[in-house]
Amino acid sequence: MGVLEVKGVDKHFGAVVALESADLEVKRGEVHVLIGSNGSGKSTLCKIIAGSVIPDAGEIRIGGTVTAINGPQDAARAGIGVFYQELSLVPQLSVEENLFLAALPRRGPGLVDRAAMRRRAEALVELFAGVTGDGFTLDALIQDLRSDQRQIVEVLKVLATDARIIIFDEPTSSLDKRQVTVFFNLVRELRDKGRAIIFISHRMDEIFEIGDRVTVLRDGLSVECLRIAETDQDALVQHMVGSRIAPVSAGPHQVRNDYDDTLLAVENLCGNRLDGVSFELRRGEILGFGGLHGQGQSLALRILFGAEPTTDGKIRLTGSSRRPSKPADAIRKGLAYLSGDRNRDGVLLTRSILENLVAADLTKHRRFFLSPRSLIRKITPFVNRLKMRFSGFAAPISSLSGGNQQKAVIGRWLTIQPNILLMDDPTKGIDLHSKTDLYQIMRELVAEGVSIILYSSEDAELLGVADRILVFNGGRIVQQLEGGQMTAFNLYQAAYGVTA
Amino acid sequence: MAGVSSKEVIAGARSKFDPTALLRLPMVIPCLLIVILLILGETASPGFASPGQIVKLLTLAALLGTVAAGQNLVILGGREGIDLSVGAIISFGAVIAGNIMQGANSMVAPALLGAAGAGLGIGILNGIGVTILRIPPLVMTLGMLGVVQGALVAMTRGIPSGNAAPALSDFITQPVLAGIPGILFVWIGVGFFMAWLLSRTAFGYRIYAIGTNERAARLSGVSVWRMRIGLFGLSGFFAGLTSVFVLGYTGNSFIGVGDQYMLPSIIAVVLGGTPLSGGQGSYTGTMAGAFLLVILQSILITLQMEEFGRQIVFGVTLLVLMLFYGRQLRLRV
Amino acid sequence: MTRGAGISAFSAFFRRVDLARRPYLPAIAVTLLLFSLNGFLQPKTLRPVAIAADISTYLPMILLAVGQTYVVLASDIDLSVGGIISLVNVVTVSVMTALGGSHGAIMAGILVGMLVGIVCGAFNGFCVAVLRFQPIVSTFASGIVFAGIALWVLPQAGLAAPDAYWETYGDNLIGIPFVLWILAAMAVTVALIAKLVFSRSLLAVGGNIQSAYQSGLPVPGLRISAFILCGLFSAIAALCLIGDTASGDPLLGAKMTLGSVAAVVLGGTALSGGRGNPLGSIFGAVILGLIGSVVFFAGVPFEYQNLVQGLIVLAALAGGVTIARR
Repeated sequence: MGVLEVKGVDKHFGAVVALESADLEVKRGEVHVLIGSNGSGKSTLCKIIAGSVIPDAGEIRIGGTVTAINGPQDAARAGIGVFYQELSLVPQLSVEENLFLAALPRRGPGLVDRAAMRRRAEALVELFAGVTGDGFTLDALIQDLRSDQRQIVEVLKVLATDARIIIFDEPTSSLDKRQVTVFFNLVRELRDKGRAIIFISHRMDEIFEIGDRVTVLRDGLSVECLRIAETDQDALVQHMVGSRIAPVSAGPHQVRNDYDDTLLAVENLCGNRLDGVSFELRRGEILGFGGLHGQGQSLALRILFGAEPTTDGKIRLTGSSRRPSKPADAIRKGLAYLSGDRNRDGVLLTRSILENLVAADLTKHRRFFLSPRSLIRKITPFVNRLKMRFSGFAAPISSLSGGNQQKAVIGRWLTIQPNILLMDDPTKGIDLHSKTDLYQIMRELVAEGVSIILYSSEDAELLGVADRILVFNGGRIVQQLEGGQMTAFNLYQAAYGVTA
Repeated sequence: MAGVSSKEVIAGARSKFDPTALLRLPMVIPCLLIVILLILGETASPGFASPGQIVKLLTLAALLGTVAAGQNLVILGGREGIDLSVGAIISFGAVIAGNIMQGANSMVAPALLGAAGAGLGIGILNGIGVTILRIPPLVMTLGMLGVVQGALVAMTRGIPSGNAAPALSDFITQPVLAGIPGILFVWIGVGFFMAWLLSRTAFGYRIYAIGTNERAARLSGVSVWRMRIGLFGLSGFFAGLTSVFVLGYTGNSFIGVGDQYMLPSIIAVVLGGTPLSGGQGSYTGTMAGAFLLVILQSILITLQMEEFGRQIVFGVTLLVLMLFYGRQLRLRV
Repeated sequence: MTRGAGISAFSAFFRRVDLARRPYLPAIAVTLLLFSLNGFLQPKTLRPVAIAADISTYLPMILLAVGQTYVVLASDIDLSVGGIISLVNVVTVSVMTALGGSHGAIMAGILVGMLVGIVCGAFNGFCVAVLRFQPIVSTFASGIVFAGIALWVLPQAGLAAPDAYWETYGDNLIGIPFVLWILAAMAVTVALIAKLVFSRSLLAVGGNIQSAYQSGLPVPGLRISAFILCGLFSAIAALCLIGDTASGDPLLGAKMTLGSVAAVVLGGTALSGGRGNPLGSIFGAVILGLIGSVVFFAGVPFEYQNLVQGLIVLAALAGGVTIARR
């Protein structure tokens, strides 16, 4: 029998069905993967096990006994430890203080044992020695750390709890390859010690590297439970989606030969962590930015858009003499910026779909007086093109699914008809259908003469969609890959700074 | 555009059809309560809800409502926007206006300009402190409150002066058309202005944008700091405007005449459906909230309760109203 | 020294001093500055008697500011402290006189007063943490209620406190002014509280409430405890005021509410929560008092005193916020 059994769990949020009847069985000493597209209920299921969401129906058994989990404290008592995708750290406190947020070592009633805390913290941080990067010390404040460093602190925080059932929900999304290797070794050690580990990841290669068994969720139901060794990637995708779909990449598309002019020339761009980036962008091409996380790709895009300051370098846009000084300036010069973190950077969650769609348009045309009706008339063709599913322009954008919300944000940028679209990891956390729709739109745009710079953290996507790839490392471009050179091998090699 | 807060519906409702979601529409509860209170008042003291009385109540509500318009804008803009200096600006403006007017009808317009201009200036200073010096609004306007009060004392040496012109007083308190005082028409005008500003201008759309997600707004090209300075400026402007109306209502000013407007202006905004975090809500709700507060205060006076009773009931009622408003999200979801 | 080198030396100094960990340092510096300035303008203020008198005057605001700090650290705010002071004031004096004014009556009065403060704090905590009201509006409303109850208990100011009470308050205990003992006791209490897990957990709640909750911290309990502490400190502040004014007055607390918030900010605590220290608020309250004193002794014309005071406070608030941001 499994150490953790979940049976028939059911959860509704208003009219939205997150889980319909989910089952899960996790054994001791195994890494059990949960997969499913966005909206399949994976995260909700984990939150239920972790105690931050109460199910409407169903039961949870731990070690064979029915256990009621009504809050995070119950879960902790039951021996469940959780790693959260939305980081659960306190920015103003230090690494050490965050590690033991819930379990401060005590000496006497209510007093903190600082020496013991320090020792344990040092032991934990030692596990990731060598891959944490600059500025990662026990006294560093979370708000001063990079996202991959914060993710490491989150991992260590879970390890600090000595839980026997551990949930890792997208633990590697910000980590680079070396950090992931260290992390997986840790996971294997934990598994070998008899812990039960639930693992969620969108990355197929990771799933096959670390997983023992996998449960597939689809539309809130547990559809399959398989041994990793007995299945393959395509089979899993088929279970997730429920029907055969074309693979993500359909090969690089042809660059239109009649578009020959250069839209953008960047020369020796320097910034906070950018060390002299130079490249050109031709009309009608999809230029990919590749490489490990935090090597300057996002930063370069934001600098181009005028959203970050720069210390040196020239940016020449056709038709304009000076580089964009702020987003409004960039918008009027024909640029658009789509962020992958739509909740933080894109969506005005409590506002209507109309307001979300026209946000950039108001800037571009310096509007003062508005008529909702004429605005709707203007943006309807773009909305149709996006194949968005929604009930009306006045509906709140929160009524849309994540993928449709991202489509709305894309719509915001399409309506200003940019010459250059800067895409900063736009498909993170989006379901497969919406991703495919997005690739289609990108191809259409490019055929119309729009140029796209795409930074993607998913290598398969980058290789499949881009015409050329500029690989970043340490704030510089170390390699350009084109045509037949664009293979995963070359990409990873260049990402580690090994120039051909 | 100001509909049900969808976060609340998604997060709070347990069943598929949720009647309480209807109740959360901004206008419904204040209007229901207004009706209930009017009935209560009429029962306790016949004549309470007579047309004449209601007009008087509406006049008071117009005063509160005008300053609440500016407060509404500041709160809508998010980032813990709030303006604690409006009361002091009203006191200050009343003295300035009174001194310019000195009872002369011909000086009403300059007095209006002077007071509103002074309010605008103070508001812009608030805005600069909040955006460029990055001082939290609560702190900045709190400090400004002290400065304006100090300036008032310095100006008047503690002795209030200045008189309202008869034309102004008449406009505020006497019927101008169909038995309705001029001030109510002005308030209706303010209502239309706010509705237009918030739903038919890019400025209005941008207010909601920065109040909802400042980063996303910035990336869409909104100049956030310019907007905030504008919002605080408008708040000061409306407070300055209100000071002239208050002067007209009371005839002459006394030090601290505006203090009683500060916190009620905030409450009216919250009761009207604009959460203190900003990003949603409308001015019509605030108008209802202002009227509600005025009726509440008036009922308590009518019931001839002792001062202490009035205070206790007022405070308790606010707390009870909070059950429907200004409740923050659960930690679970 | 070039300007660049000067600036980097300046910021290196700040980094070493680590303001994030000791946000109260600027407040201490400003206090010393103002104190010296005050002494320079009027040397008589440097006499021990004068200092004791000053402490006696500042003590209520200091206590209030410390209590407010705990609430602000958890990213809430308590605008009812003025009302709590009024209520505790009148209840305590009423109890003491009703029981005859003996030593026993005084002790009973004090205990009842503190209890009232705790109950008020618990009520605030309940509204904010359990009913999830917004702190600004909720504590404003409860402050009105508390002040109203105070008016009910004692409609007119002027009920005299027992002689023994204020005589002891103004007197010396083993040669040291009684108020200094109170100050010392408070400092020790604050230091002890800082060592508890409670303090760290409170910072976590103020820093990121979702994180604190997901990490299993008892968030509602922590917030309620902060409000109860605030209520208790407000009650003690009221007891000190009784010692000073020797009477009951239902309107006493009104002006002190906003001042307590100013003192907290001046002391380096962030209103957004998660950063700060009650030690700073002690100095913040003293700074407020000293500003008034300096303005007075500097010979500023009477009608301008409020204005100058207001400007200095505004400048100090701006400065405090800017430095705390480093």
